[in-house]
Amino acid sequence: MSRFPKSLIAVSLMGGMGLTAPSALAQDAANGETIFKRCAGCHTVGPNAQSRVGPHLNGIVERPAAAIEDFRYSRGMKKAADDGLVWTRDDLAEYLAAPRKKIKGTRMAFAGLRKESEIADIIAYLDRFGPDGAEKTSTAEEIAAANEPNPGMAGKEPAANDVKGDSKPATESSSAVAPAPKVEEADGAGESVDAAAETDDDRQVALAAAPPSGGPMNLGRPALPAEIAAWDIDVRPDGKGLPIGSGTVAEGEAIFDEKCASCHGAFGEGAGRWPMLAGGQGTLKDERPVKTIGSYWPYLSTVYDYVHRAMPFGSSRSLGEDETYALVAYILYLNDLVDDDFELSNENFTGIEMPNADGFKPDDRQSEPQNTSDAAAEVCMTDCKESPAEITMRARVLDVTPDTADDDGDENLGAGAID
Amino acid sequence: MVDSADDGGSKGNARRQFLKAGLGAAGGALAVAGGARAAEPDPLITEVQDWTRYLGKGVDATPYGLPSQYESDVVRRSVPWLTADAKSSVNFTPLYALDGTITPSGLCFERHHGGVAVIDPADHRLMIHGMVERPLVFTLDDLKRFPRENHVYFLECAANSGMEWRGAQLNGCQFTHGMIHNLEYCGVPLRYLLEEAGVKPQAKWLLAEGGDASLMTRSIPMEKIMDDCLVAFKMNGEALRPEQGYPIRLVVPGWEGNMWIKWLRRLELGDRSWEQREETSKYTDLLADGVARRHTFVMDVKSVITNPSPQAPLTHGKGRTVLTGLAWSGHGRIAKVDVSIDGGRNWSEARLEGGSSKGAYRFYHDFDWDGAELFLQSRAIDEDGNVQPTKDRLRAERGENSIYHNNGIQTWHVRADGVTENVEVS
Repeated sequence: MSRFPKSLIAVSLMGGMGLTAPSALAQDAANGETIFKRCAGCHTVGPNAQSRVGPHLNGIVERPAAAIEDFRYSRGMKKAADDGLVWTRDDLAEYLAAPRKKIKGTRMAFAGLRKESEIADIIAYLDRFGPDGAEKTSTAEEIAAANEPNPGMAGKEPAANDVKGDSKPATESSSAVAPAPKVEEADGAGESVDAAAETDDDRQVALAAAPPSGGPMNLGRPALPAEIAAWDIDVRPDGKGLPIGSGTVAEGEAIFDEKCASCHGAFGEGAGRWPMLAGGQGTLKDERPVKTIGSYWPYLSTVYDYVHRAMPFGSSRSLGEDETYALVAYILYLNDLVDDDFELSNENFTGIEMPNADGFKPDDRQSEPQNTSDAAAEVCMTDCKESPAEITMRARVLDVTPDTADDDGDENLGAGAID
Repeated sequence: MVDSADDGGSKGNARRQFLKAGLGAAGGALAVAGGARAAEPDPLITEVQDWTRYLGKGVDATPYGLPSQYESDVVRRSVPWLTADAKSSVNFTPLYALDGTITPSGLCFERHHGGVAVIDPADHRLMIHGMVERPLVFTLDDLKRFPRENHVYFLECAANSGMEWRGAQLNGCQFTHGMIHNLEYCGVPLRYLLEEAGVKPQAKWLLAEGGDASLMTRSIPMEKIMDDCLVAFKMNGEALRPEQGYPIRLVVPGWEGNMWIKWLRRLELGDRSWEQREETSKYTDLLADGVARRHTFVMDVKSVITNPSPQAPLTHGKGRTVLTGLAWSGHGRIAKVDVSIDGGRNWSEARLEGGSSKGAYRFYHDFDWDGAELFLQSRAIDEDGNVQPTKDRLRAERGENSIYHNNGIQTWHVRADGVTENVEVS
């Protein structure tokens, strides 16, 4: 067991150092990168960046407005471009502070960043990427900062060396290969600690020191409590797995507007093909049922688990536990299931019953006629229909097959979307 | 096709033209077929062709081999209007272009919920915890020291044919039935891993979790886990493709594809189901009375004719022809497949090839086409006696809003000119 706890502590420290002891300038862009996760649901930047819900942001500093050819900008943004807007740092700062104030009619649903320092940081981060998505050559200051003994942006390098120095002696002789454990969400804030800088030597550390599994084939090694805690984030309907915490409808609304509304709509109504979260109660027998959290989902635990696990899309596990409680509370409010002063917590969570909790039954397909024991014996082989077959429906009428429809890519085509 | 050598570049449009074609284009196809009896000698035979005169590329020109340039039309395709973002979307296996039973690795349909995770196998971990005696962590190297097995299984998305519940909608078996593939897997029986950790008697369910950006999760009952599930690291003899879960995925034979967790990183044992998003809000089957079935894991008996089909029309004119397709059942083996060319009035038993329990079977029906219109159907029956139902029967049982588990009989209408369309018949 001996090597693992030590490695864990070292790796955790490394993460702490990266956050607390950077030089001012390097901190800007690094912090901006963290803040950018809030934007990453819609925007990308870097070598593989592509326009998604929003345009890609490569070379955005000094880029003319509405400059990405294949992106469908709002009329407001196009007008700004016609008026000659080029995104200087000042323009970006104004836009990020109050998007709809700067560009009337913008489609960007983001409410804006309040802190000037955050705005400066995110612009510093975006300014690292040129028009082709490659990182620009470092400025003299950044190079100097990286060469500092107690560095900022480059902080991970020496910190990783600390880990190496700590644990190497025990493992030199090992030939087995297994990386040391990564600590995910070590501080509960969803920020994973990057241990990628470790060398192969470090990887050999873990396995050599690992005790055998104790199972019949003696393979694998014991999972450490901290490792299980890092990955075991699932929540069950009976409340197992719920963390201690709480959040209010009002707190949830602010987070939702900032991180969720661009896809799910300000009231959970869903934008385009993005999922609708609210409404639809009483429609499950309709010709076109509206399946939402309020109308269909049987358990509230599923909402907490999924939001915490996989949302916002493109920035998974960036939400803290209290933030998740707040969002779940707000989604309940959007579905008229709680009042606007409601606070959800691990204390009252399992007391909330969803409207469609009784709307499910076990799989009973085997009772259908085609699956009963004599179905095969009764299969007809000749003269099974009285009259010749006549066409009752044809795909050609809808013509939604890719490559054949004239308006390729029209998202309003077709029925029966998969999500 | 005399001019095929010159036609390589426009190959991509060929299918589109077929799909769009009226009588004119297909009539042209018939004329070419008639050219087999031409009086003039075929210059492809009488003249020396370049590829018989000049040397071709040497070995190692393509260290990892690729299909012929003339097969560039055989690719996975998506339906853009289905989903909001390609990173949480699906594409479809080109069944119309394949034969045999094994799906080529690069043509297996993709379904991702958070894009394709890129994982260095040296960085991958599989954890087992929960109701076990010894919570364990395995590396890929550890897993490869367990006894392994090889099996061929189909994987079908529960939503395969889901767009056809309300009626014929998509013209091509790639789109109506292409959320399926059939592969040989090499991996470790999951029960070995659980025995290594020591399962506590209270454990009744297992939660499997993937290491992608969606951290996909599904609950699986213990009987299935101890029966035939695998942790696979090879498909068709080589490492899993990234889009199929590299370096390891769960194999849950005969059960809906969503449960075959890709990029598998965690197995938790517990005493009840976790009721995750993909087993409550999704992958539950809403019935006409407003109640939904849940835990509908098994994929029912099903088949589809892959040729002829809308993307592979009958271009040769009347005379000898081959009808072929695939059949499968999550309950086990296929007992027989019947084929009808008159829309289900009369049936004849097809010839089966290949196949295995919970693996895909190939069927053939060889016949002389008289040139009249055809209504092609196939009907599979599995070893348990489950019969593939008509779509009308399924709708009568379930309504039109189930999305999942549509195993109804597919009808292709072949016109006299050979053009083939997705229809439903009386």
